[in-house]
Amino acid sequence: MRQYPRWPIHLILLVVSALMLIPFVWVLKTSLSGENIFSYPPSLLPRDPHLFFYVDVWYTIPFFRYLVNSAVVSAIVVAANIVFNSMAGYALTRNFPAKRAMILLFLSCMMIPFQVTIIPAYLITKKMALLNSYLGMALPVCSTIICIFVFKASFEAIPKSLIDAARIDGLPEWRIVLRILLPLSKSAIATNVILAFIWSWNNFLWPLVIIRDQEMQTLPLGLSRFLTVVEDTTGALYAFCIMVLLPGLILFLLAQKEFIAGLTTGAAKG
Amino acid sequence: MRQPAMAWLRNRYALTLGSLAALAIFWNIYVALNNDGIIAGRAVTADQQPVGGATVILSERSLLVAVPKGQATTNEKGEFRFTGHALHRLYLEAHKEGVGRMPPKEFRLYFKGQNLSIEKPLVLAESR
Repeated sequence: MRQYPRWPIHLILLVVSALMLIPFVWVLKTSLSGENIFSYPPSLLPRDPHLFFYVDVWYTIPFFRYLVNSAVVSAIVVAANIVFNSMAGYALTRNFPAKRAMILLFLSCMMIPFQVTIIPAYLITKKMALLNSYLGMALPVCSTIICIFVFKASFEAIPKSLIDAARIDGLPEWRIVLRILLPLSKSAIATNVILAFIWSWNNFLWPLVIIRDQEMQTLPLGLSRFLTVVEDTTGALYAFCIMVLLPGLILFLLAQKEFIAGLTTGAAKG
Repeated sequence: MRQPAMAWLRNRYALTLGSLAALAIFWNIYVALNNDGIIAGRAVTADQQPVGGATVILSERSLLVAVPKGQATTNEKGEFRFTGHALHRLYLEAHKEGVGRMPPKEFRLYFKGQNLSIEKPLVLAESR
């Protein structure tokens, strides 16, 4: 078989990667120098970089409070996603009447945007007395259909004989999920953690609707509040964006191997 | 085969999160040791002669106005000192009758109440 040189592909990938990184580099540069996007001559590296815009963000609004709120809500969402999605994913690997209809229902529900269901979601949350609370903020994203299918694909890739053996040994269904399937589905768990974390971390609309107390606001709401407080926004605004982005970025970089494995599990099956 | 004790420390999650926690602890220790709110500096004339008896005003800028936060008078060596400020972005201005004045100059700090020793003296000059 003829071997083609690999360097052209690598070169193209390098150029495309660099192009995709430009917006992020630009945000980082502006957060360090406050240079406006229209500053002339344009430069890739910041002139006279400093960290004072980050200090401004920290003190202008109760950043730490918002960070804690976002972290608590994200922790609830991540934990709930792993528990509920793994249970639902396992159920979808079993045979039961109307299984196909159930899967079709799930898939069709994915097409309904959240904005459509926001009023019923608000009314349900109000009836549960969860308005203005961490649990209320977490509730609509406690289980997501995409992540259920990630678990389903991962569980289906595990040999059935293992589950049968566990059942013969007398393990109840919940312990089969807990002791056999979940330890073998680390990539699916990582995918769930990353997706649930990012969705919850970036969620703006739902907290905006149900949060009344400033003390309960999360970082995306803090960003909109910050814009109303600071007059010279360029550098500080970009610094705020970096501070909001950083936790998700660190989490993704740490778990990217498992994340990609989780998304591709079962992709080449059958 | 048994894994060596503390092998979990070499895990990338433990390393990253541990490093961040260590960084936060060291930073907080540094802040605790340097947040007495001391501002020290000197006021001189354009030919670098110390100015005694000059008034130095410490202020903070809000959206529209400058809010004075303190006032000090320089000694015969031209030195002044503020204590107990709780600002991270502050302005200093100085003036003395017959010598001149220095317009407000901005100083930015990394945390509230950071001790600041101003290397370059405040230069009082006759305004034109």
